Amino acid sequence: MEVDENRESDSMTRRDAAWMIARALATPAGLALASGWPGAAQNAGGGAMRHSNAPPERDRWKDYRPKFFTIAQFGALRMFTQVLIPTDETPGAREAHVPEFIDFVLNAAAEYAPEMQPQWQKAADYLDSVGFAGMNAANQEALVAEMAAPETDPNKTHAGFPFYRLMKEMTVRAYYTSRAGLVENLGYQGYAYLTEFPGCNHPEHHKV
Amino acid sequence: METFDAVIVGSGACGGWAAMELARSGFRVALVEAGSSVNPAHDFHHRWPYELPFHGQGQPGLLRKRYRGSTEFNYRLMIDDIENPYTTPDGMPFRWSRSRVLGGRTLHWGRVSDRMSDLEFHAASRDGYGDDWPVSYRDVAPYYSRVERFIGVSARAENLPQFPDGDFLPAMPLNCAETIFSAACGKLGFPVTQRRVAQLTRMLNNRPPCHYCGNCINGCDVGAMFSTVSSTLPEALRTGRVTLMCDTVVSAILMNAENRARGVRFIGRYNKQEGEIGARTVILAASSLENTRLMLNSQRGGLANSSGVLGHYLMDQVSGAGVSGFLPALKGAAIRNDDGKSSGLYIPNFINLGKQKETFIRGYAMSASGGAAQFPRFAVNHAGYGSSYKREIKRLYPAFARVWMSGGEMLARRENFVEIDPEVKDAWGIPVLRIHATHSDNDKRLYAHFHERAREVFHAAGGEELDAKAAMAPPGSLIHEVGTCRMGADPKTSVLNSYCQTHDVANLFVFGGGCFVSTGDKHPTLTMMALAARGCDFLTDKARKGEL
Ligand SMILES: Cc1cc2nc3c(=O)[nH]c(=O)nc-3n(C[C@H](O)[C@H](O)[C@H](O)COP(=O)(O)OP(=O)(O)OC[C@H]3O[C@@H](n4cnc5c(N)ncnc54)[C@H](O)[C@@H]3O)c2cc1C
Ligand code: SF4
Repeated sequence: MEVDENRESDSMTRRDAAWMIARALATPAGLALASGWPGAAQNAGGGAMRHSNAPPERDRWKDYRPKFFTIAQFGALRMFTQVLIPTDETPGAREAHVPEFIDFVLNAAAEYAPEMQPQWQKAADYLDSVGFAGMNAANQEALVAEMAAPETDPNKTHAGFPFYRLMKEMTVRAYYTSRAGLVENLGYQGYAYLTEFPGCNHPEHHKV
Repeated sequence: METFDAVIVGSGACGGWAAMELARSGFRVALVEAGSSVNPAHDFHHRWPYELPFHGQGQPGLLRKRYRGSTEFNYRLMIDDIENPYTTPDGMPFRWSRSRVLGGRTLHWGRVSDRMSDLEFHAASRDGYGDDWPVSYRDVAPYYSRVERFIGVSARAENLPQFPDGDFLPAMPLNCAETIFSAACGKLGFPVTQRRVAQLTRMLNNRPPCHYCGNCINGCDVGAMFSTVSSTLPEALRTGRVTLMCDTVVSAILMNAENRARGVRFIGRYNKQEGEIGARTVILAASSLENTRLMLNSQRGGLANSSGVLGHYLMDQVSGAGVSGFLPALKGAAIRNDDGKSSGLYIPNFINLGKQKETFIRGYAMSASGGAAQFPRFAVNHAGYGSSYKREIKRLYPAFARVWMSGGEMLARRENFVEIDPEVKDAWGIPVLRIHATHSDNDKRLYAHFHERAREVFHAAGGEELDAKAAMAPPGSLIHEVGTCRMGADPKTSVLNSYCQTHDVANLFVFGGGCFVSTGDKHPTLTMMALAARGCDFLTDKARKGEL
């Protein structure tokens, strides 16, 4: 039921095209990253790639070294966020640089929101205490399932539940605001340059 | 020192309009703005969340502590709460969202531009509460037209007595969620229309039409939405008669021995140096409450306050998030540019139009919209994780929808008021406001009634509720703060006459929402601008005749 097949040509103003080319040239590594993820363009679905003014990601995460977490803690966070948002037919936490973003945010919290940091230290300590990083994938999956259980079953409790929620909340925020999450997964169509607003053209929506 | 024909304090919706009109009439105008200058073509462009260091959420704590109510996209357009404090008594919150920048809040406002009707201007005569306005719809209508024709309002004419039509540009089409809600309202017998927005659907006054990027709330790069900077200011500057002074914080109105305003005192925003600007007419357009603060700070007991009502009858409109959830018809739908016009559906007030039937007086308007907005905010609390979670979020993404309170009347009550805080001063040493506001029982009953109707609309659309507990928001939240400098025919009970001229000082005018006698249920800014336009006509006429 997709309409406006001409939208892309309609919307691509000269200014816009020039801007995108400038961006692409300025960030070759970002481009490589976007296209380096296998199948992103083909699998994005929902017309995401067919019409997108979304510029490539900046090259900010290349050679990123964690500043808030230790290397070991960061490794565990990587694995945990990857269980939360795995790489499947669309990009996951890894391609979205979720762990890097979380570390960056927590480090920057020192200035105006230092109260954020201790809970994340506790979350990192928790993952360390259960040996998360050393588990095989199946055991990691099983532990996350237990930690998450109270979310769907109010009769269950788990010592790791608050840490699961903490990490999930920021992972979800980081992922769906990244290029991988917002553009390649969700196929967000905004920030367009269109001559007409693409209104509803579904007769069935005129009846309830 | 040069003496201007008029000094205008503030360059928002009303200040920009006054500068344009007065300069076109031949006035030499000083337009004084506390905030910095902006250049939309240079400063505004679509930025994707991942292009910002914190993906739009800002450095942790920064927005919460310093730029409340803003995002990383637009906080530079908002006021710095630390430099510009205000106080409230314990347990009496008031949210005051301000901008200090050239163009004021027009740079990032919601653009909804409604006309008020006589049902509101004369509400007191109908239900016996409060006071009528000293103007009728007939008095304001030509000025509504003048403003609409200049700023451009995209809307549908509906021929509803409670929601007068205007001089409209073609309406924008509805998105899928809005179409479904529209059908739901049809079924319930509720009136419904497109939100009327100051956003161009075709070229007007050298401004290009909207390109449906949905970035309005962060500033429009091409000037398709009305703002001072895109619309009135260029026209004002074109006359060659306007001197624009940015980064200039006005601290007081200067008076002479004959009870006439002779100009304003200011403090440099950065160098903190004091100075004066001399003018034959002083026009305050620094926003409803800043105008009142200036008058309270200019003279013990308040300038032009022989009535004693300056500062009183503070209002916002009643508001609250209403109901949100999912429209099943849209689950799994192809992703469309649903938020590209960042507008929505508008359900005009249909309460208490004829006989008083409800347990509360006055009315409210609702709005509804939905679809793929940028961030799927429901995802944070959606249970689960992993691939199944990802697929579910994507399926729900285009189906998220909500019905919210667009504006409900908050009764004008004398006991809601602003005064000067005896201790606290802003970064320039200027005493700040202490704001006292609570909701009345009527306000609460009106909100409860809205909440029931919002759920009706949501359910009629087939919606599955996710959050329907949403409570009434504290006063100020709707950013429709008005009152504290009310207009009226009687100088004993009002500060301004119907032309926004102070009863006490002939050459002092106050433009903005301060003059409102009641809130009505409409978005207030178009009315503020129309009354400013009317005031400018009166002012130029009197000045020409030498009667000011
Ligand atoms: C996010 C948001 C959405 C909104 N949506 C809508 C909507 O959809 N419809 C609607 O009708 N209204 C809406 N409003 C409200 C609307 O923006 C205001 O009603 C309108 O801008 C008021 O115009 P004004 O000229 O009185 O004041 P403002 O636009 O606030 O401008 C006041 C100006 O005065 C300057 N100033 C203040 N103090 C001083 C001083 N001491 N010296 C010098 N300059 C000073 C400020 O810097 C500012 O530039 C919205 C507001 C916000 C923030
Ligand atoms: S949606 Fe239209 S009015 Fe809003 S910022 Fe984009 S072009 Fe401007």
